[in-house]
Amino acid sequence: MSESPWWRIGWRNLGRHRKRTVITALGLAVGYFAVVFLVGWVEGITAEMVENATGLVSGQIEIHASEYRPERSLYETIGGREGTDVAQMLREIAADSAVVAAAPRVYAGGLVSSGESTSAGMFMGIDPQLEPTLSRFLDELSAGRLPEPGRNELVIGTEMARQLVAGVGDEVVVVAPGADGSMGNDLFRIAGIFRTGMAELDATFAVLHLGDLQTLVVLEPGRIHEVAVSTADPWIAADTAARLAANLAPADLGLEVAPWTELRPEMVEYVALAQSFYFVIFVVVFAIAIFGVANTMLMATFERRREFAVMLALGTTPRSVVLTVISEAFAMGLLSLLIGSAITFPLMIWWHNAPPDLSWLYGEVTMFGALLTPSLRVEYNLAVWLQSGVALVLTALLAALYPAVRAARVPPADTLSGL
Amino acid sequence: MRVVSNGLAVLACLSVASTAYGQVSARDIIERVDRITRGESSRGVATMEVVTEHWERQVTMELWSLGTDHSLVRVLSPAREAGTATLMAEDDIWNYLPKVDRTIKVPASMMGGSWMGSHFTNDDLVKESQLVDDYDIEVAFDGDRDSTTVWEFRLTPKPEAPVVWGHVAFRVRQDDYMPLWAKYYDEDGGLSRTMIYSEFRELGDRVVPTVMDMRPEDKPGERTTVRYDELEFDIDIDRSFFSLQSLRRRR
Repeated sequence: MSESPWWRIGWRNLGRHRKRTVITALGLAVGYFAVVFLVGWVEGITAEMVENATGLVSGQIEIHASEYRPERSLYETIGGREGTDVAQMLREIAADSAVVAAAPRVYAGGLVSSGESTSAGMFMGIDPQLEPTLSRFLDELSAGRLPEPGRNELVIGTEMARQLVAGVGDEVVVVAPGADGSMGNDLFRIAGIFRTGMAELDATFAVLHLGDLQTLVVLEPGRIHEVAVSTADPWIAADTAARLAANLAPADLGLEVAPWTELRPEMVEYVALAQSFYFVIFVVVFAIAIFGVANTMLMATFERRREFAVMLALGTTPRSVVLTVISEAFAMGLLSLLIGSAITFPLMIWWHNAPPDLSWLYGEVTMFGALLTPSLRVEYNLAVWLQSGVALVLTALLAALYPAVRAARVPPADTLSGL
Repeated sequence: MRVVSNGLAVLACLSVASTAYGQVSARDIIERVDRITRGESSRGVATMEVVTEHWERQVTMELWSLGTDHSLVRVLSPAREAGTATLMAEDDIWNYLPKVDRTIKVPASMMGGSWMGSHFTNDDLVKESQLVDDYDIEVAFDGDRDSTTVWEFRLTPKPEAPVVWGHVAFRVRQDDYMPLWAKYYDEDGGLSRTMIYSEFRELGDRVVPTVMDMRPEDKPGERTTVRYDELEFDIDIDRSFFSLQSLRRRR
């Protein structure tokens, strides 16, 4: 390129009106930033939604008896009436390299009562050692601690605590229909209170030690309803689930191994919708940019029409004139990309690692049963960074096409004679 | 001309009167059935057998009732649950749990839930007495079925009635006002469950159905059977008996 005089002329022409060049380049650079940032933000929201929906309570993969969903009957335990060797099953699951954590769970429905008030409760029996490695909702209790085994302790949500007018240390009555038809009931002490921000969870979930819940509802120790599994990346859950199903098949327990993509199809659809939206962002941002650049180039070429007339009169071919203008636009594109990258990359790295708080703009939002915190979290998407870089240069080139052709068609004699 | 129109007017009046009469008499019959089987007050001992896909159990209990709004049930056996009691007063239900020595009011959201593991809901216990208040009642059939003269009533919920059924069909034997069965239909008109009354014999001072059998349609093979072993009517009992204090009273 440096051999060609047209490229040098184009580059030097940029310096003739520096203010205008910088403003136009800034416009393109902001366009580049807008695309990269908007896509990153949408991805950040999507990623947070998926992470919260799968990481807060449920895990990326759920393993049940095949009949358990959707009724979630107390009797449909893994391995049927005989139950299963839970420790052995957990070992087999943990043997898969994609599995980060696995935890057993028992569920039952019933009542929690304190004094005059009574709430309907969804009881979740957990292993307090394993559960925190998998789900996040018990990581930071707003008060107290997790239940200890054999002490009839439970952890309830803030909303249930409010309804029951009870706090840590208070005694509540827990009632749940047992698997033998009896009405299981016992006194429990509130060991802790959790808060997820999701009204439904905070009002209905009560977390007990797995063994205590089994005793309450008369289930043998080997009878559990679910093994929740987490994977490092939500997007490998489906493959991991298929592998786990194959690995667990020899035990012949009649299992259903369901990844979140199967349990929450609406969320998968939302992610696909968000991704198709990236294209719209591209088109809108660069369509605006293209007219800005075209305007500048038209002005720049009109100003220099006498110069083009001289060039043409001296024997420069129209093709070379076009090349000069295109080269100028190309140089402008590269300059914009440089400025754009200089603005974008530091901001993206900053917001990715320390998302600014946006609670002044909007409060907590729940979407598809996932809590979104108001923060400017962005995700990296290198493909989009490259694509919008290319799109930016193409935009500059495309915008210069018409002005270039106009410049090449300047009539030399008429222009030079002042007409 | 005038004569004819007068005649029509009389006919119209007659038909209105007979509809009104039919409505009143249907209600009267239901109320009379209720009076016979319930009495002004009562005390009894019954055994409830619950059979489900997963378990079977028998619970023996003592029951008291006063009018249509108050009743109390206390479990006698099995020993593990003896003393567990349920108090129904107006529209509310309280359960007493002897193991933890606490009384719990059943919240509104759980009124549709099972009562003591049976196929009766908590709602059944308080609503069963309000047929006349909650439903429009009409005679759907009056004649012989299986060589027995019966009425069949169709009970349609009144618009604002807090009732979960689409309609209820109820068959009553004409010669002694004994209920034979009640069929509960959902809002789409599908049969949801059937209550069958049987073993009509003298208990207390009158003939009553001593066995009631509830069969849910969606769970074939499952049933709840209540069998009265003792029953006495119009006993000396007043409202103060149906209190949270007596609910807690251990035997």
